[in-house]
Amino acid sequence: MFIQKDSDLDVASVMLDLNSTPRISSRAFLKEALDLMDAKKLGIICITDRFGKLEGIITDGDIRRMLTRVQKPFAALFSDDVIEYSVKNPITVKRSTALSDAIATMGLMQVWDLPVIDQSGKLEGLLHLHPAIEAILGVRNA
Amino acid sequence: MNKKKILVGSPTNNQVVIHNNSDLVLIAGPCAIETREHSMRMADLIGKVCRKVGMQWIFKACYDKDCRSAPTSFHGLGLEEGLRVLSEVRSEHGIPVTSDFSDPSWGAATGEVCDLIQVPACRQTSILRAAAETGKPVHLKKGQFMSPWNMKNSCRKLESFGSSEIMLTDRGTFFGYNMLVNDMRALPIMAETGYPVCFDATHSIQMPTSMGNISGGQREFIPHLTRSAAACGIDALFVEVHDDPPNALSDANTVLDLKYLEVVLSQTKAMHDMRRELQEKWGEDNVHPEG
Repeated sequence: MFIQKDSDLDVASVMLDLNSTPRISSRAFLKEALDLMDAKKLGIICITDRFGKLEGIITDGDIRRMLTRVQKPFAALFSDDVIEYSVKNPITVKRSTALSDAIATMGLMQVWDLPVIDQSGKLEGLLHLHPAIEAILGVRNA
Repeated sequence: MNKKKILVGSPTNNQVVIHNNSDLVLIAGPCAIETREHSMRMADLIGKVCRKVGMQWIFKACYDKDCRSAPTSFHGLGLEEGLRVLSEVRSEHGIPVTSDFSDPSWGAATGEVCDLIQVPACRQTSILRAAAETGKPVHLKKGQFMSPWNMKNSCRKLESFGSSEIMLTDRGTFFGYNMLVNDMRALPIMAETGYPVCFDATHSIQMPTSMGNISGGQREFIPHLTRSAAACGIDALFVEVHDDPPNALSDANTVLDLKYLEVVLSQTKAMHDMRRELQEKWGEDNVHPEG
């Protein structure tokens, strides 16, 4: 993919704010996480502790892989703590990260979304691939 | 998993600790408080067996049986008189006591006397709220219709009302009509909540309302099931005991005859201790492949 390297856009300019980012507490049921992902129309959810610190993420892909691995009835699976199936050390970016670098990371890691955290690990929002590409291509106002 | 413990009773009244890494605790007594004299006698007789076997225990008897099969069945002594008897058992015998309650308005009074608040096999929010508001540890039985993983919902309700000490019990699961079976997987599944788990031996062998106007039961399976549950992993055992089962005023077909209590407890305790030894030697049960 060609990325406009000299773009001076940063992650902060296109990231989804906290209100638009699916996020849930670690003790929530998996079913509650799935409902929230649906409601926010995103294939990722961020799991945070009571101070808002990022503890993990779950993506559509994680759920797909889990479904073929875990041999539980759905009713039991839905009641499990969401943290149980999360990726505990997800790749993250900062608000100040260059957008071109963030998109390159997404391409390298084959992911569509990157949580945005501050220096203390607190979740600040989410970088989603589509608005990031649109901003880079100049078809979307950053 | 952070295993939680519950403390039942006051430190000055033979406080009982129920925890994954503690000795097996017994909750026992007649199903209903029949008379003051009977409850006092049962407390004395069960206490003797427990001392012989070496088990800490909590006296259990209900003051109001609101879920009997027939309107003519014995209902109990009622709230005031029943709690007075429990209070007397508590002070005379120096042991913690417990009873269930089936009306939210009885919660506060029950909490003033009982050291452990038993919630019948239900998930009614008003009952759970009343149990939590007593401030005492709550003993919550899994409804015969409930899956073990769904007990997390009831725990959540209790936690939202302020409970932090909860114990979950399996008392059998409906297998068609008038028949219960025990799925031993329920015990480790409920233990995933971190709360202690208990096995109710005498209600598990119940055949609900199988005798037309009363419940039947297959008490011959009590020893098998208690050994199985202890081997699987429990922190407490619940047994309804009577010195004259045919004439028991409640659950006559399921209560354990007092004369068999020692043998049942001895075997269950041995299985429990063996499981703990095995766990110490081999670690937690985990056979999942890596990755």
